[in-house]
Amino acid sequence: MRSRRLLAAALGAGLIVTGSALAAPPEDRVLSIEQYTTEKGRALGQKYAAALRELNAGIYHCMPWVGVEKEGIGFFRPRHMDSAVRYLSLRITVDQAPSQEFAQWPVERRASAMFSRYVGPLLRRMTAAAGLLSDSMLDGFTVIIDWLQPLQSGAQSVTETIAVFIEKRPVSDYVAGRAMTRDLAQRAVVFGYDGKTALGQLKVAGWEDNFVKTFHVANYQPEPGVTCR
Amino acid sequence: MRRTQLHMLLIGAALFVTAGCANSEEWQIWRSNPTHFASGDHITFSMRNKEGEPARVTRGDVELARQQNWFGKAVTVSQEELLEK
Repeated sequence: MRSRRLLAAALGAGLIVTGSALAAPPEDRVLSIEQYTTEKGRALGQKYAAALRELNAGIYHCMPWVGVEKEGIGFFRPRHMDSAVRYLSLRITVDQAPSQEFAQWPVERRASAMFSRYVGPLLRRMTAAAGLLSDSMLDGFTVIIDWLQPLQSGAQSVTETIAVFIEKRPVSDYVAGRAMTRDLAQRAVVFGYDGKTALGQLKVAGWEDNFVKTFHVANYQPEPGVTCR
Repeated sequence: MRRTQLHMLLIGAALFVTAGCANSEEWQIWRSNPTHFASGDHITFSMRNKEGEPARVTRGDVELARQQNWFGKAVTVSQEELLEK
C-alpha cells in the first residue's frame, strides 16, 4: 500500500515536472556560443544571446502551430556565401494539415504562398532586438520554412522546404514600412527542397497575408504572464 | 465440521481471487485497446478537459503532440546543407 502511494506520488511529480518544463521553450533551439566556428559568429551570438532567447520564446508561446528546429536560431553563414558573411537565421516547421489542393499547385506558387505568409512576420520578430539592424557585423537574414507534403500511403512523410536569404537593407526597409512583401520577395534569394532533393533557386512572388496576425489555435491559452502582440 | 470449514475456505478464496479481476472477455477488450491513453500526458489533458466544456489547450499540450511525433520522422533537407555554424 505504501509502495503504491509512493508510486502514485512519483508519477504525479513526474507529470508536474513535465508540465512545467514544457511551459518554457526548449533551450536547444538557439545555437550555443561554443558551437560557433568563427569569432564573428561567436561575438554576435554572445551580444544578442538574450534577444535570441526572446525570439525563441516569442515564437514558442505566440505561434504554437510553428516549431523552431533544434539549433534553428543563430548567426550562421549561408553555405552559398562568402565565409565572412553572417546572417541571423531561423528555421521553423509549420504544422499544417497536408493539403492535396495545395500540393497540386506549381512549386513556385507554393513557395510564394509560404513566403508571403511567414517571412514578413518572422522578420519583424527577428529584428526586434535593439541595435541589431544597425550592427555592422550582421549582413542579412535567413528564414527556412519546412512543411509536410501530403502523405503517400505506406511511405515515410516528406517535407517541402524553402530557404530564404535576404540582405539587411531590404529587411530594414520592410520592417520600417518603406517596402511591402512583394518588394521583399524581389530582393530575396530562395532555394527550394523536396525532402532532401534540391529544386534549385525559385522565383517567388510576395503579397500581403495577415494569417499570422489573425490565426488562433482553437481553445489555446498562452501560459500565465505571456502576452502575444 | 472440519470438511465444511475447508469448503468455506475454498469458496472464500475463489471469490477473493475473482472479485477484483476482469473476466476473459473483459481482458480481451482491454488487450484490443491497449493505448486508451497513449501516455500519462494524455491523461492530464483528458482530466483537465471534460465533455461538454470548451477544451483548454496549453503550449505544453501542443509541444507534447510534436514530441510524441504523431506524424513520424519526416525526410527533410539537413540544416548543414544550407548553413554553416
